[in-house]
Amino acid sequence: MLRRLPAIFVLLVASCGLPRDPEGTSERIASTHQLRAGVTDNSPWVNAQSAEPQGIEPDLVRAFAHRLGARIIWTRGSETSLAKSLEQHELDLAIGGFESKTPWRRIAGVSQPFAWTADGKQHVMLAPPGENRFLLTLDAFLSEHPSAPKGALS
Amino acid sequence: MRGIPATAGAEHELHKAHRLAWLSIAYVMSTIVMLVFVMSGSQALKTEMSGEILSLIPPTLFLIGDHVGRRPPNRRYPFGYERAVSAGYIGAATALLMAGVYLFFDGGMKLAAREHPTIGGFPLLGHVVWTGWLGILVLVWSGLPAHFIGKAKRKSAEVLHDKTLAADAEINAADWQSAAAAIIGLTGIAFGLWWTDSAAAVLISLEIMRSGWIELKTAIGDVMDRRPLTLDRKEDDPVADKIDAFLRRQPWVKDVIVRVRERGREFTAEAHVVPRNDRISVEEVSRAGMLACDVDRRLSDVTIAPVMEMPDDVARARQTEEA
Repeated sequence: MLRRLPAIFVLLVASCGLPRDPEGTSERIASTHQLRAGVTDNSPWVNAQSAEPQGIEPDLVRAFAHRLGARIIWTRGSETSLAKSLEQHELDLAIGGFESKTPWRRIAGVSQPFAWTADGKQHVMLAPPGENRFLLTLDAFLSEHPSAPKGALS
Repeated sequence: MRGIPATAGAEHELHKAHRLAWLSIAYVMSTIVMLVFVMSGSQALKTEMSGEILSLIPPTLFLIGDHVGRRPPNRRYPFGYERAVSAGYIGAATALLMAGVYLFFDGGMKLAAREHPTIGGFPLLGHVVWTGWLGILVLVWSGLPAHFIGKAKRKSAEVLHDKTLAADAEINAADWQSAAAAIIGLTGIAFGLWWTDSAAAVLISLEIMRSGWIELKTAIGDVMDRRPLTLDRKEDDPVADKIDAFLRRQPWVKDVIVRVRERGREFTAEAHVVPRNDRISVEEVSRAGMLACDVDRRLSDVTIAPVMEMPDDVARARQTEEA
């Protein structure tokens, strides 16, 4: 019995869908099939000039949306406006070459790093604050899709 | 051995207390390191970590204090160095109290601002697990062993009659409460309740303030030469009454006022004595002083001052505070 406890715990937790999103981001994406992504120009990570954003990060977001079975609704804006929208839960994630030490981590959630530059900077995506189920899903996805090994990008 | 009561096994207990202090420091350090990794956006974990950092101070002060406090008296410090520890404790307790107040407001503001704590995934052995679950594991580690370390310290404190060690033990033993509060906070986050985190943080900050208050009261009572209390601070220590009763049994004694000071783990007493007639022998007085010293093992010195009548200020020592 004792040996099975961890397995039982994982099962229980998974079946309750813990952790949950206080504002229900994951459930909303599952029911509307829409992923609201904010982009801001920051080459080579994000090229937001063309109609469909291009670059390392938009490719990752497309793969993530595919995993969720969701269509992406892109929103362009400055870093400030994207961060504000995340705080208001008007966006589900934001990309634009954000680094793990970004000052926006005060108001938004920060994902696990998915790329490492030669000078040791870690690249992350931003998520709405406190939406922990959604952030965990994103983190799990990013850990399976490291876009560049350590030191490969400058 | 200087600086510890003449009880059997006190020296052995002192070594044990030293080991406990080192163990405490290593244990708290391990908790702090783990908390750094799992803290993420949780206010409860941040508050718990501040509490852990501050709880390094008492065992450190114990080790330093035991070293400094045992130095023998000299011209410059004729009463010895025991009070150095008390002075250190006043500083530490004030820091604890102030950190508690700061964390109380910090948590309160986050609660008022309806700030949602963000806790994401943590890469572990090729998997990504929710950092909150790891946080709960760390909290169990920070609460459970502390309880047993606290109990062991309490035993040493009793044998050594060490008030600061007793206060530290009390705080360790209560550590599981703040860990439990933080666990409830994190579990709440898991269920999508953003407010449980800050609410738990506020509770923990209250516990930190309480610890600070306990230590501050102990330390201030010490430097103010408060009437000695028992280790649990619930009642007066019987030592003064014991000396009083012993001296009153001497045939030459008419009236006595005993004032006892605590110096670290030991007591020194001053007894003003009014003799029955004005011819008493030096031998009688000095022998009474030596025998009075034996009524309690924690007494290091009893001074007997024969007087014709009680000086006013000494006589006031009989009055209660309110009078």
